[in-house]
Amino acid sequence: MICMIKSFLREVQKGKGIEGKLIPNVFASLVTSFFILGLLYFAKFRFIEGFVSDYGFFLFFGVLIYAFLCGVLLQVRNFGIFPCMSGMMIGMTLGMISGFISGYIVAATNGMFIGSVFGMAFGILIGIISGGRCCGVMGFLEGTMSGFMGGLMGAMTAFMLFNDNLRLATIIVSLISTVILFALNYMIYIEGKQLEGKDIDGMFFTIVFTFVATTLTTWIMIYGPRSGVFG
Amino acid sequence: MKNNAILGLGIVLIFVVGAYFVFSSLGPSNSGAILNEPGTVSGDVQKVTLSVKDLNYYPSKITVESGKPVELTLDSSVTGCFRAFTVRELGVVKYSKKPSEKIIFTPTEKGIFRFACSMGMGYGTLEVK
Repeated sequence: MICMIKSFLREVQKGKGIEGKLIPNVFASLVTSFFILGLLYFAKFRFIEGFVSDYGFFLFFGVLIYAFLCGVLLQVRNFGIFPCMSGMMIGMTLGMISGFISGYIVAATNGMFIGSVFGMAFGILIGIISGGRCCGVMGFLEGTMSGFMGGLMGAMTAFMLFNDNLRLATIIVSLISTVILFALNYMIYIEGKQLEGKDIDGMFFTIVFTFVATTLTTWIMIYGPRSGVFG
Repeated sequence: MKNNAILGLGIVLIFVVGAYFVFSSLGPSNSGAILNEPGTVSGDVQKVTLSVKDLNYYPSKITVESGKPVELTLDSSVTGCFRAFTVRELGVVKYSKKPSEKIIFTPTEKGIFRFACSMGMGYGTLEVK
């Protein structure tokens, strides 16, 4: 197991093969997100009182997880088809994490309803893209169900922690999500040994995905509807 | 080597941007009210009793004066998470097990604040004049 992890890390470090493209893609996603947020901040959001403290904190952790999601999506797109068991695990993990995090950060600023709706929509979409694409109807179902569950759970967790240690919980939740996504990267690497990859670049997809996810999340957080408890 | 450089740059970027957002969001807590222990306040105490009606606090709008202690009672109709009364912006967070356990605080900041239960299920407005 440790030997395999070492071998995976070497591949990631060497910059060859699909695992070698993980770091550049995650980095590109981060740069794209920070660039969009910086641009929007200087153009519009600096006039919103308390933007950095009220929204910036949650947006930062949101875009961080979106960047790690890009890494896994790159691997999934590279291999295309997976055995049912692996495809279901991929669809479930991606749907759950993307739904949970997006629902969590939106609910932290806008309340449970809009957080749940956004989390479910985002989670189901990612779950279908990943699970449905790589192993058919089983992956599709797994991705849909996990996105549905993750979106609701993320929003509910954030809303219930609102009067408690919400910010500390955000850091913990993000750390756990990062470890899970990294483990999924490793799982796909192991599974991919028996499969033939396309060796795609993926940079364009990463930038477009990040652009859409970041702008949509930011727009909903700032201009989206709010529940009564947020005034 | 190329990937190592990108990785290093990425880690630095995450820490710098993350530290900026994390430290910017650390605001002062419990700055707008003084929490008092029962029996420690005397004189002009503003007494407020909250109950539950239509699955929310009743009354959902409270008006109090700044600088004077507020003695809040959650009556026997208030149950579950509704008994954990919070005014987040003033730093008031207190769990009252039974109606005899009063929540006493002195608001020092004027304005309109949201009060809620710990899970945000019930909520209302506290106006400090």
